[in-house]
Amino acid sequence: MGTVAPDVSVRLLGDIARGDRDAFARFYDLHAALVHTFALRVLREPAEAEEVVQDVFVQVWRQAETYSRDRGTPEAWLITMARSRGIDKLRSRRRRNQMVRPAENPDRLPEPIALESASGPAEARATLGGALTELPAAQRSVLELAYFDGLTQSEIAAKLGEPLGTVKTRMRSGLERLRGMLSGHSGAERA
Amino acid sequence: MNHDQSLEQADLYALGALDGRELAEFEAHLATCAICTERLRETREALVTLPRSLPPVAPPPALRARIVERVAAEPRVTPAPARRRPERRRTRVIWWAGWAGLAAAAALLLVVNAQLRATRQELQALQGRVATLQTVLAQREEALRFLSDPNVRYVSLGGLKPTPEASAWLLWNPTSRQGLLLARGLPAAPPGKAYELWALAGSQPVPAGVFGVDERGRALFRLPQLPAGQTFDAFAVTLEPAGGVPQPTGPMHLLGKVL
Repeated sequence: MGTVAPDVSVRLLGDIARGDRDAFARFYDLHAALVHTFALRVLREPAEAEEVVQDVFVQVWRQAETYSRDRGTPEAWLITMARSRGIDKLRSRRRRNQMVRPAENPDRLPEPIALESASGPAEARATLGGALTELPAAQRSVLELAYFDGLTQSEIAAKLGEPLGTVKTRMRSGLERLRGMLSGHSGAERA
Repeated sequence: MNHDQSLEQADLYALGALDGRELAEFEAHLATCAICTERLRETREALVTLPRSLPPVAPPPALRARIVERVAAEPRVTPAPARRRPERRRTRVIWWAGWAGLAAAAALLLVVNAQLRATRQELQALQGRVATLQTVLAQREEALRFLSDPNVRYVSLGGLKPTPEASAWLLWNPTSRQGLLLARGLPAAPPGKAYELWALAGSQPVPAGVFGVDERGRALFRLPQLPAGQTFDAFAVTLEPAGGVPQPTGPMHLLGKVL
């Protein structure tokens, strides 16, 4: 997925803040796929992913004027909103699942919903590609568990059976690399 | 705790991985630290690489229509920019002229406002219609694209005993295993029931989706992609419990062979 020039999006957000519905539609067309792809990866459930996309863009409409360039690109703003909604849904789903069938071992986290149960083959095969293949697998997996699956550092440590310190170090090294990639070729298209 | 540790916590916070006491500590620190705020911004930017590296999945066009419609129905309350009023001494004449002008302006404002509201409502209605039309157009374009594929076969389905007057065309692409069903003459399904389409491989029925009919007894239904590895030689429609069933249980309404 290519990046969208932030300037255009920032301008559109200004127009949206003035109530311009065409600008909103254009903004949606520019960013909906990224938000949807992200939500689908987090929730692995098309209907819930669509709810997240709807929530995020309705919030854009209502609060476009609260976006400030100093706080990041519009894409990062959108993904931050989508992540907080997506992870909320994921956690409440996990709570529901735990109530329905209490695990034999209460310390164990419920497994993420199986991909095949919900989404089509295209989504099921969704794996990180592009620049991320450059990350060592151990770093990548802790990033994914935290960012997409909403697990905290202690939950990840418990799940992997690794010391908390190791998990933290891996996450930080992974992020260090991500930042390095961005500054290496800024405005980075996927490789 | 030295500040480097806070920066490290900023990273874990951006990932959503901080928990417990560390989370509370860092949030308290963040509220007052510009360096950590900037670091958080940078890390969030870098993290967008993660979703951007996934194979993109476009949201369905119907979702766009739904969102655009929702937004069209919701007038935006733009906070008025704060205006500075210069403090100035006025003479009596200007004061009176000011009031007369104000009264005239208020009257004009009422008229303009009423017109504006009417125009805005019209605009909203139009935007809603445009969104609906865009969805319809997208559906038609998809149907056209589908039809223009040389692999598409036309399967004619005839009405059976419960609905002899019903009929349907199924446009079936065995290569992509996708299809489009156009049915007519089917009565509305009773409450709790729906029509289910089956693809038959020999005598083995494979569920091909559940659909309803409109008030004129017609249906336009896009099949889900059917599983590979089987050659389907016929299609049938039965009446089933509304959620669909894995094996047909109800009466058969339509049947047709792939020729």
